[in-house]
Amino acid sequence: MGKEIILNCLKNYGFLLGLLIFFSAINNAVAIAESKQTKEATEKSTAEATEKSTARQVVRDFQLKLLDVMKKGTILGFQGSYSQLEPAIVKSHDLTKIVRIVVGKEWNILSEKQKTTLNDVFNRLSISAYAFNFKEYSGESFEYQSEDKTARGGIIVHTLLKLPKDKDVKLDYMLKKKGESWRIINIIANGVSDLALKRSEYTSILKRDGFEALIAKINEKIDNYAKR
Amino acid sequence: MFIHLQKKGFLTAFSAPLLLIIMSLLLSGCAGNKAIDGDPSSIEISDSKAIDDPFLVELSESDPYEEINRKIFKFNEGVDKYIANPLSEAYLYITPRFVRTSIANFFNNLKDINVVINDVLQGKLQQGMEDSGRFLLNTTAGFAGIIDVATEVGLERHEEDFAQTLAVWGTPKGPYLVLPLLGPSTSRGIPGSIFDTAANPATYVGAPIQLIQMLNARSNAKGALKFIDEAALDPYVFIRESFLQHRKHLVTDGNSEITDDVMALEDDFYDDDELLDEVDITKTKVDKVMEKQEVEIPTLQPG
Repeated sequence: MGKEIILNCLKNYGFLLGLLIFFSAINNAVAIAESKQTKEATEKSTAEATEKSTARQVVRDFQLKLLDVMKKGTILGFQGSYSQLEPAIVKSHDLTKIVRIVVGKEWNILSEKQKTTLNDVFNRLSISAYAFNFKEYSGESFEYQSEDKTARGGIIVHTLLKLPKDKDVKLDYMLKKKGESWRIINIIANGVSDLALKRSEYTSILKRDGFEALIAKINEKIDNYAKR
Repeated sequence: MFIHLQKKGFLTAFSAPLLLIIMSLLLSGCAGNKAIDGDPSSIEISDSKAIDDPFLVELSESDPYEEINRKIFKFNEGVDKYIANPLSEAYLYITPRFVRTSIANFFNNLKDINVVINDVLQGKLQQGMEDSGRFLLNTTAGFAGIIDVATEVGLERHEEDFAQTLAVWGTPKGPYLVLPLLGPSTSRGIPGSIFDTAANPATYVGAPIQLIQMLNARSNAKGALKFIDEAALDPYVFIRESFLQHRKHLVTDGNSEITDDVMALEDDFYDDDELLDEVDITKTKVDKVMEKQEVEIPTLQPG
């Protein structure tokens, strides 16, 4: 009697155990299949997410560098700020592309020497403008908002510049991929596009006064900035 | 870098209401009609190169009177240099900052009446309620508006005016105009300014009050003017572009400028890519035609 019970129990137990193993096996298989699917999906989305986060990182690093230079501004002086900002700007911006867009169709008419000159003065002007305008710190900060993909594979990173005593300024950075890295090619401040503004100026001057006048004007601006 | 630009001060540096009414009445007759009719013969395209570049065509469309505008711009610069600037320097010397802020707050509070009217005209009822609350709070707790209490409690100031309302109603922007003493505008901005001036109580108080308002605005715009002076290669173009872009930003309440800008920009990348890989020329040409059609979809124009 007792033997039967024990046998019965063992049978039941074995059955249960079998059931358990069976289910867990199914469960595992499903889980593996699922995880494979999700893995593929996440791989896909992480690839996109990394792209986005790299673009975001480029903007973030650049903004942190700006804040850093602003905080040390009074000690660094113009030249100090300039040399601190230069590598950061060159790394995060696609200045060559910016110049090209800013000059528009006129680019094709320029000689190689003129192109080199223009690239050179434009870089110096861009860095000087930053060094001049971000010379002191009074509680400003940057805040990341969101980001969008554009139709042609660019990314727009929306940020806010928080001013202690004034309304926030909307700063939208537009980035394009250059080789493996993301580079800033435009900054839109409260709806005013830096690139469009510069493009109007540069094309207008080239059309009205010519190449030499443009270079002279840029050099004049650089000199004025350096007198900070 | 463009923080100062949005302070709008430099745009209204000379907006003495009295002058404004007279000038706009004088000018709206000639400039306004032409603009709204969109006289195509006034658009000058100097050479065939301009036609190839959609950007240049767009430029001459938005500023067909560039030569006259530049002359008036020069005149305004002169007035600013020899009259407005010395006066404002003197004013800055004798008034402490908190007085200037209070005066600016006072006049902004009066402007809020017009903001509410235009909120309603544009169908922004929620914002209209907020702005009414702003006006009431600042007029009472803010001592007739000299303290901007409302901003402190989270009711931010909105920028609405009749030119924006006209834009919302579908009035075309018309060409860019530089008005003597008043500065940048568009043909839509002229009836806009007349309405705004009429809806502002400060208009009816008398010349000395308006002089103070004007002087205060010019003095507070000093930073912005300095910024333009430092940054602009061509101040005329710089002010025109930032004015038109800023107005567009206001009309669309900051919602559409990104997409528009991206479209224009991407056209450029497109040109760029075309230059870089000339192999696939046929494909790019088709794309380009499509892209251009896309760009030509009419959008709201800046006020």
